[in-house]
Amino acid sequence: MLFNSWEFILFFSGVFILYFSIPYKVRSLFLLIASYTFYMAWKWDYALIMIGVTFVNYFAGKEINKAIRKSHKQYWLFFALSFSLIPLIYFKYANFFIENVTVFTSYFELNNNISPLQLILPVGISFFTFQSLSYSLDVYNNKTTVENNFVNFAVFVAFFPQLVAGPIERSTNLLSQFKENHDFDSEKLVTGIQLFIWGLFKKVVIADRLSLYVDSVYGTPELHTGNTLTVATLFFAIQIYCDFSGYSDMAIGIARMLGFRLMQNFNLPYLASSIADFWKRWHISLSTWFADYLYIPLGGNRVKYIRWILNIFIVFLVSGFWHGAQWTFVIWGGLHALYYLFESWGDKFLKLISLNNIKNNTFYKVFKILVVFIIVCYAWVFFRSNSVTDAFLITEKIFTDWGSLYRGSSTVTFVLSIFLICLLFGVQLLQYFKIASIYFSKSKVYSSFQFAWYVMLLLGISTLGISSNAFIYFQF
Amino acid sequence: MKLINDIKKDLNFKNNFKIVSTLIITFFICDFILGIGIEKGLEKYYGLNTTAEIALVGHSHLMLGINKVKVEESLNVKVSKYTREGVNISDRQIMIDQLLRKNNSIKTIIYGVDAWSFTGEGLSANSYTLFYPFLADANVNAYVKKKSSFTEYWLHKLIKTTRFNEGLISSSIRGYLSNWSNLKFGEVDTIRLKEEIKVGKFRKINTKIENIEILRESIKVLGLKNIQIILLYVPTIDLYNTAEISKFNESITIFENLEKEFKHVKYISFLEPWSHQYSIFHDPIHLNPKGQDLITLELIKKIK
Repeated sequence: MLFNSWEFILFFSGVFILYFSIPYKVRSLFLLIASYTFYMAWKWDYALIMIGVTFVNYFAGKEINKAIRKSHKQYWLFFALSFSLIPLIYFKYANFFIENVTVFTSYFELNNNISPLQLILPVGISFFTFQSLSYSLDVYNNKTTVENNFVNFAVFVAFFPQLVAGPIERSTNLLSQFKENHDFDSEKLVTGIQLFIWGLFKKVVIADRLSLYVDSVYGTPELHTGNTLTVATLFFAIQIYCDFSGYSDMAIGIARMLGFRLMQNFNLPYLASSIADFWKRWHISLSTWFADYLYIPLGGNRVKYIRWILNIFIVFLVSGFWHGAQWTFVIWGGLHALYYLFESWGDKFLKLISLNNIKNNTFYKVFKILVVFIIVCYAWVFFRSNSVTDAFLITEKIFTDWGSLYRGSSTVTFVLSIFLICLLFGVQLLQYFKIASIYFSKSKVYSSFQFAWYVMLLLGISTLGISSNAFIYFQF
Repeated sequence: MKLINDIKKDLNFKNNFKIVSTLIITFFICDFILGIGIEKGLEKYYGLNTTAEIALVGHSHLMLGINKVKVEESLNVKVSKYTREGVNISDRQIMIDQLLRKNNSIKTIIYGVDAWSFTGEGLSANSYTLFYPFLADANVNAYVKKKSSFTEYWLHKLIKTTRFNEGLISSSIRGYLSNWSNLKFGEVDTIRLKEEIKVGKFRKINTKIENIEILRESIKVLGLKNIQIILLYVPTIDLYNTAEISKFNESITIFENLEKEFKHVKYISFLEPWSHQYSIFHDPIHLNPKGQDLITLELIKKIK
């Protein structure tokens, strides 16, 4: 059941009315039933995995809290980590290991009869696994109190607005909200709808339109010139942003209508002035997850310099691997690690030659924003390519083969795509300068303009919306 | 009921309700005006509701192949150009039906054909969606209702702007501007095309008997109304034609046989010598403006 479907709108309308009509004490249970209905509409038997992960972390949390000795706490944490990660590793990474073992053994001319498994990746498995693990880790680190109500914990893991593609919530933010009494609030309903509309526009008008061009070019990179591949890469950068941030906006909007506050997942990432800044703005819930539960436990930056470099690589490579079991994702993560390190060395160099003040210069900032955007786009080549070979072929062509520009099957669509990208950046600049609202912040735009804007968005969705494409991040 | 009590307690409810209701009403008013506007522009572009004597029916291949303005000027007759991207044989049956009901004075239909005309796959499988803009027409409405799902149908019925896309909006604007010019500039990249053919990336010919029957049925209906049919083969590039040469020739034989079978059918092919002249092609099947002018002149010579 996709957010951009009539089935979901009907489902949500029913959930919304019933949620605010029933007594407070049964609302968590109701949300739990609604969330599992939502998940099982896709594939009912995979809900068993989610139930298993929920049970493991619920009991592990209780046992960690009960344990007095550290070794017992560690034992239960290990139990939670291993049993939560087993389904994820099996469904997401088993074939990757099989394929690589096959390549390795064939290299040494060894016999290997392991054939790939016929697996369907459960939707949102990476998201609900990480969300429930964050709870066990927080209990272990005394960052949250143990949850004794199983229904509240289960709905925290399965909460349908953010179940399949995030934001990956923390127990410290979301779990406690299931204990609050939410009354119907028309203000929240209106602002939630507004964010939902903007997210839907980004998804069905921008992302899905750009995907037509991107899929066609990246499907056969050998047939396209360097400038076509450059445009396709730029389009993909916008596509993935609009697709994923669109989903996050819709999720946050839906939760807000029900009275819940989900964390902001994107904050104008393509206006980041450094790679470090980019990761504070892109998929915030995942980057903070890795920062809190991987980077800091590894020692963060309070370690020897070489170890710090290693930590940076570990975090980015794992982040790449989290996105998918392909070397293209790992290289994507590795590239970001390199960018991060080069940037830190560049900053040190500026300090060394006493040019640190240049950072406050507006032209320098704009220059940095452009550079960050370009190198982030380059990394997307690896993220989007069907294979490492394709990614290197695209790289080679981008730098050497500038011929005619392919405009897709329709020039009108191509021109419209460029117009929509300009529109998106226009809105983002207004948000950057705090003129337009971003995630419920106060807007300085006249209310009549805002009204006209939402009418225009709705007309844009109805006229230019391309429906039924699944969200890219569902596969992660 | 808890929800009703909450609403009563909510001080902002009245104001927010007003805002949302006004938004919805404004949306539907804009949707209605825009929808009517785009539809009228499309009617002008396709030449529906006119006194045209000649009608061009086909898909983008014919759309870019013939310059209707030049035909009108040379023959001094009105021409409707009802060509849509991706329409298959059965869609064209609906288009002809729609044309005949809207335009009473049609004497000749120039029907675009190519070797892929009877191929079931390849052209859009859900091509009934092409008729969304004309849901106001009872017959089209019945056809779409039959083919689409319940939610799909009612969404397009209730919200007019969902019936269009950027291509149709562009066509509608061109209808108002009376602009039918071919904008597919540039020449086909034959090196790339050869590579694509080599790797099998081209549309295969897969002739289906039922599609031939549908065309035969359309021909019969037009014959009963004393309407002449020209099966027009606007050239497709030889590299593409020879990719499956035997199947290609089989398709050509079908058109030749139809000409023999029906007195009111004439088959005109511009494959020779134009399919070998690469500078007139925008891509393997579509002509650029230069090609369109050349082929239009040839057509005028033939039907004058």
